[in-house]
Amino acid sequence: MLRSFFVLLLFQALGEAVKAATGVLLPGPIIGMLMLFAALCAWQKLPQDLIATSQQLISHLPLMILPPAVGVYFLGRLFSDQWLAISAAVLVGTILSFVFNALLLKRLVKK
Amino acid sequence: MNSWLSVSEPARALLQSPLFALTLSIGVYRFSGWFYRRSGHFAFFHPVLTGAAIVALLIGALDIEYQRYLDGNALLTFLLGPATVALAIPLYQQLPLIRKMAAPIIISVTTGSIVAAGSAVAIAALLQADQQTLLSLAPKSITTPIAISTAEEIGGLASLATGVVVFTAVLGLCIGPPLLRWLNVTDERVWGLCMGITAHAAGTARSFEFTQTAGTFSGLAMSLTGTFSAVIIPLAAPWIRALAN
Repeated sequence: MLRSFFVLLLFQALGEAVKAATGVLLPGPIIGMLMLFAALCAWQKLPQDLIATSQQLISHLPLMILPPAVGVYFLGRLFSDQWLAISAAVLVGTILSFVFNALLLKRLVKK
Repeated sequence: MNSWLSVSEPARALLQSPLFALTLSIGVYRFSGWFYRRSGHFAFFHPVLTGAAIVALLIGALDIEYQRYLDGNALLTFLLGPATVALAIPLYQQLPLIRKMAAPIIISVTTGSIVAAGSAVAIAALLQADQQTLLSLAPKSITTPIAISTAEEIGGLASLATGVVVFTAVLGLCIGPPLLRWLNVTDERVWGLCMGITAHAAGTARSFEFTQTAGTFSGLAMSLTGTFSAVIIPLAAPWIRALAN
């Protein structure tokens, strides 16, 4: 548990270091994820405790996005005269995105 | 404090502490998770939706500032970092499946992120939204940490961008599963890709509830969409600015 958590933090730190050194716009954790993925591909092994820890963390993703999600209810003043445009854009944009991707992928992905 | 609850100073200090903020988050999350399972995984009762509403009501009633509650939960939001890195593991486990589908994944992520951002910006422009709103809307389908840096990069508002991202996630949770059923999407890989491209981390969390494969494809789509959008949106920013006039 502790060893695998250390591995995840280490790769996140490596990602942040790459970001700081190269100035790429991607966030550190995403770079870290890509680096860990590359490391696993090179090493060709997947320790059991790394699987367990990652499953634990991933299963609690909803808990981690709960505090920022609460912010939706406190946007009031920022919305003011823009709320109609924003709501319509997000609503229609999200529906369009689902329909477009579903139809495209159904065509592209063979059973 | 004009809250309906009048509390003593020490009690106030406790209410404002990270200890209370964290306990509140985890407690409400446990409760809304139980409620969600009792409802038979009904989309509108997803723990993020009901949980956020309950927390908003409670901190409003207890007169806790949102920013203070958010800061108090730094430990939880910090875990988003290692959890993002952890997505490499299911990705690696599904490597053979993904390799077989490389072309559809790349095509859908690139065109899908353009449709997601472009349609939202175009609709808002038609409704006379101002420039800053348009710039804050563009990153709507990007996972929160990337969305914030992208919005700031192009001159949008970080707080508005966060709100838009979360709003998209919440909507994706509500309308995604019924919409995909209506569109007759039965392939769990397609299901996950659609959720990840449109509704990022929340879509991925929801996809892992569907099946392990759906979750993996959603996580993959989320990171690819975020990466691709973070590169393409700053390039498209001049056109977005021009739309506002």
